[in-house]
Amino acid sequence: MATDPITLEIIQNSLQSAADEMFAAMRKTAMSSIIYEVLDMGTGITDAEGRIASSGAGIPAFIGVLDKSVQFILGKHAEIAPGDVFITNDPWHGGVTHLNDLVLAMPVFSGGQLIAWTANIAHNSDVGGMAPGSLSGEATEIFQEGLRLPAVKLIREGVTDQALMDIITTNSRMPDFLLGDVWAAIASVRVGAKRLEDLAEKYGVETFTEAMNSFMEFGHKTASAELANLPKGTFELSEEQDDGRVYNVKVTITDEDFIVDLRDNPDQDPGCTNTSRDGTMICAQMVFKSVTDPDTPANDGSFRPLQVLTREGSVFHAKEPAAIGFYFETEVRVYDLIWRCLAPHIPDRLPAGHFSSICGTFIGGIHPDTGRQYTIIEPQIGGWGAWDGRDGNPCIFSGFHGETYNTPAEISEARNGLYVDQMALNTEPGGEGEFTGGRGLILEYRIRTENGFVTAGYTRSKVKPWSLEGGKEGSGNYVEVIKPEGTERYSFVSGLELTTDDVVRVVTSSGAGFGDPKNRNPDSIAQDIKNGFVSEERAKSVYGLDA
Amino acid sequence: MSNSIRRVATDVGGTFTDLVAFETSDDGMRVITAKSDTTPPNFEQGVLNVLSKMEDQGIATKDVDFMAHGTTVVINALTERKGVKVGLITTEGFRDTLEIARGNRPDFFNLHYEKPEPFVPRHLRAEVPGRMTYQGKERVPLDLSELPTILDVFKSEGVEAIAISLLHSYADTSHEEVLLAEVKKLWPDVSVVASHQITREWREYERSNTAVLSAYVQPVAARYLGKLDEGLTSGGLRQSPFIMQSNCGVDSLNATSAVPITMVESGPASGFWGAAELGKLIGDPNILALDIGGTTAKCSLIEDGEVRIMTDYWIERSRKSAGYPIMVPVVDLVEIGNGGGSIAWVDDFGKLHVGPQSAGALPGPAAYGKGGNNATTTDANLWLGRINRNYFCGGAIEAQMDATEMALTEVGDKLGVDTDEAARGIVRIANNNMVNALKLVSLNRGHDTRDFTLLAFGGGGGMHAVALGQELQVKQVVVPAAASVFSAWGMMMSDLRRDFFVTQLADLHEGAGVTIEGVFAEAESQAREAFKTDGVDPSRVSFLRYGKFRYQNQEHTTEVLLHGEVTDAALDKIAEDFRAAYEKEYTYRLNAPVEMVGIHLVARAEVGKIEMTPAPLGDTDASPAIKSKRTVDYALEGKHEADIYNGDKLLPGMKFDGPAIVEDSGTTIVIHPGNKVWVDAFRNIHIVLEG
Repeated sequence: MATDPITLEIIQNSLQSAADEMFAAMRKTAMSSIIYEVLDMGTGITDAEGRIASSGAGIPAFIGVLDKSVQFILGKHAEIAPGDVFITNDPWHGGVTHLNDLVLAMPVFSGGQLIAWTANIAHNSDVGGMAPGSLSGEATEIFQEGLRLPAVKLIREGVTDQALMDIITTNSRMPDFLLGDVWAAIASVRVGAKRLEDLAEKYGVETFTEAMNSFMEFGHKTASAELANLPKGTFELSEEQDDGRVYNVKVTITDEDFIVDLRDNPDQDPGCTNTSRDGTMICAQMVFKSVTDPDTPANDGSFRPLQVLTREGSVFHAKEPAAIGFYFETEVRVYDLIWRCLAPHIPDRLPAGHFSSICGTFIGGIHPDTGRQYTIIEPQIGGWGAWDGRDGNPCIFSGFHGETYNTPAEISEARNGLYVDQMALNTEPGGEGEFTGGRGLILEYRIRTENGFVTAGYTRSKVKPWSLEGGKEGSGNYVEVIKPEGTERYSFVSGLELTTDDVVRVVTSSGAGFGDPKNRNPDSIAQDIKNGFVSEERAKSVYGLDA
Repeated sequence: MSNSIRRVATDVGGTFTDLVAFETSDDGMRVITAKSDTTPPNFEQGVLNVLSKMEDQGIATKDVDFMAHGTTVVINALTERKGVKVGLITTEGFRDTLEIARGNRPDFFNLHYEKPEPFVPRHLRAEVPGRMTYQGKERVPLDLSELPTILDVFKSEGVEAIAISLLHSYADTSHEEVLLAEVKKLWPDVSVVASHQITREWREYERSNTAVLSAYVQPVAARYLGKLDEGLTSGGLRQSPFIMQSNCGVDSLNATSAVPITMVESGPASGFWGAAELGKLIGDPNILALDIGGTTAKCSLIEDGEVRIMTDYWIERSRKSAGYPIMVPVVDLVEIGNGGGSIAWVDDFGKLHVGPQSAGALPGPAAYGKGGNNATTTDANLWLGRINRNYFCGGAIEAQMDATEMALTEVGDKLGVDTDEAARGIVRIANNNMVNALKLVSLNRGHDTRDFTLLAFGGGGGMHAVALGQELQVKQVVVPAAASVFSAWGMMMSDLRRDFFVTQLADLHEGAGVTIEGVFAEAESQAREAFKTDGVDPSRVSFLRYGKFRYQNQEHTTEVLLHGEVTDAALDKIAEDFRAAYEKEYTYRLNAPVEMVGIHLVARAEVGKIEMTPAPLGDTDASPAIKSKRTVDYALEGKHEADIYNGDKLLPGMKFDGPAIVEDSGTTIVIHPGNKVWVDAFRNIHIVLEG
């Protein structure tokens, strides 16, 4: 019998608040700043079959991960009991991203029946491997990137497998952090499971399941309805990358389907900038969600019209045991590739290109005041592209990240024992247009002790953020290391040694412009000059302003 | 009459300025209420008008012993962008902090997200050289050689207020103090505030934005409070009014004028403090407090009689916007867009929603007949017989039931259900939204709602409280006497109160006792000094000490109440108290070391509360208060014939059972089948829920 729509609605709202609650629990208890401050994490609820039903705030790129993990666990394990908690991090074992991201998943039972899963993913500071922080640009196979956890049971009916826990922590350079973060994740899946048990008990398993299904049906209906409003046909784009490779995408939109064809792409990389097929799927899901229905929460139904075609052995569908540590730069590239391919055809939903890189920055060493090891692991903020009618946003996180926060200088200086010389908007030329791209970031870390290191991997360094309708491209991302003997500029650097008074200067790109700069409103140009965003000389040459 | 004490609370709302006066004498207590139009932009005029209405009822302004005043002048100036032009002076290399903010994108699938604009444009954000370390040591001396030039630019740009925020000023205030003094010397007339005067907590964006928003409203608020004081003094008031704050306390008019941003959430705070005080009065210090108004519902949790005060407060923050942080002590509350005027709507996919859009006072619910075509929660309550259609708004408005029917039918048609079912759906969705908000302040933080009393007030509190209480399985539901003026009562029960937050990292190893005790002692002496300037004898000031603790390497902290002097011997007990509190909230313990991140000191002094005297309990028979019967639709529990009680005639000691409705001119209480009701010695209505 069909349950009344109000009851279904109430259960759906409660699923959303349970996912939010899981998110809040993780955030407040985590030990790594990448989790509690940067919020490089996600929470979600799936149905019994592992289809995503609701997700907490956080990172859009993590929403589509958890269902894939649960589905893998379901395929691997015959024995699943109340109180179990599973752990995985390996992309060939349901982990999707890279080894730092530990996924914990807990089955939820009601009356002895499996009714749902709660799951959590978060970036852990160090899971072993060849380099501190587990990420190295030098890695050529996944074994160098840390301990692989192939979807195994960490807690059996409420009892922790201490042997496994010891193996996990012993393999980390930062065992205390790892242990604290894993416990935070366990608390998070448990609090969600408790809420779902209460819900199922109150409304009955049948109604509970019906609500989940109808929520997904709603997601599907919404996506399909919006699909009808998109232009139909096949759109293709080939784009050169910073390293000279050329990526290609063909997007076919029909009345029922949205097909992203990525088969015509280079073979997988001998280094670590590969992504799994699941990872590629997530990028397509993000763009699809943004062009169909950016307003309602995502679930399995939201993505049903989407198909993604990849070629095994290619950079977007890497074969085991490829290294995948810097998967995120490849993912953000394919995400931006699909976005760019469609932007000229769907300008009301897609602005000009943004800085479009995670700009993953890793700095480590010994804290001069506490003597303890510190590790900075952070994505950077940058400029976003303009659209018809509005300048782009200055300094927000990339499309890959969402409800993510940068680290305040005051906290960074205390926690990491270095100085932040400046944190400012980047006013380098670039991104001008009738509507200008938002400004990128300049962030300077001054090192206070010897034997430090920096690792960074930025794209959109040579091939810059793309403009629309005659605007200027963005300024480009890069990192500089300033030493007494000179300044070096990098887009990829791995394990570079740092010592006292060295400065690591992070520079992120402006977003790209929209429309011919000559058409920019003179009042806006005057404000730009007054605010120091553009020099008078540059204003003259780009905007054709008569001084 | 000579023994009479007269206390008055005035509250400036969006539409009306309210007054409640309590006159206590040997003969008992008399309560007078009055209402007058709010008079923008000269809000003080409305206050003076409402006072003259009080005089008409026999209390002269000159005889008032104590006046508390609540105003929305600060939040209004912020949300309507009616503050002044601000210039910011900050540390070299950090003038863009205000614009960079934290970089988050809450509306993350929306690629047209619009980041909130900073309140100060880049050309009015100036930098000065000079650096402190996080440990409060000077690294680079402060250099003010450019300050005259900076101030000249500010003057020529028409800046009216200056905010100062320097890196690590929470750890050492001296650079900010020197800069502040120099600004005052060079430009004596300008309004200026430094971040350390408001908060001593870290995070430079949050602290800078707080200083900027305080500067932005300071001239507006000072002007308002100045004129108010002038008007009241010439009206005969003997002592300046105390001003309601966001931390559930009141503060002196002078102190508030200097840092008015502390008033930002004062509206809800008085009601929640009233809830805390009422809980103590009825012997139930664990309270879930719920305030349902016309546009929003707000809730807060009170444990052991103490409200929870936090400094993680943001305006205009939502799933769609990052908002703006204000780092001042604000009562920990959750607010949702669900009130009596919230509009019910059906989206393109046939899903019913209630709020956050509100029909407001104009056009208001469809039943007002003022042109509102949308069905609101109030319309649904009317249709279901929960609100008396013949006594709508206390009889002030004739309910236009045909308009209500039309609006509800439209909702029903979109949902494919009849009008009754649509009305029930609206009430159930509204209730569910409020239940989720109540869970956020209770279950989500490890509190079991079965240990709490749900106290509901505001115009719509009684209407929904029982349904919510049943869902949360609370001990009982209490609706206070005169629920509609409950906030004013709370205001008069407030202490003079200041909350001091100081960031100070400390490991709990040997020697830490002295360090921590030192931080508290310094804050306490500062508090006594501050109260002394307001004429409060330091011996009357009492303190509550909270430490903010975490496991080493964590970021977020858990507050623990500390008892007595902090010594090394007490550290183990403190750490254990933290571990227990942490486990309660997050379900597990760690062996990791515990560290302190800062202190939260509450300093307060009584400034004259009302003594509530219980009345003797009379006859249990409540039938004299019954005025009629009618059919009421209880949604999930179906339709029942309910007794309708006149709230004004319910006397201490009376008892009755649901289904029933209690009505007075300000509120309606919906009592479900199976509920048992009794009236206490203060005429509060207690509803015990059937298991």
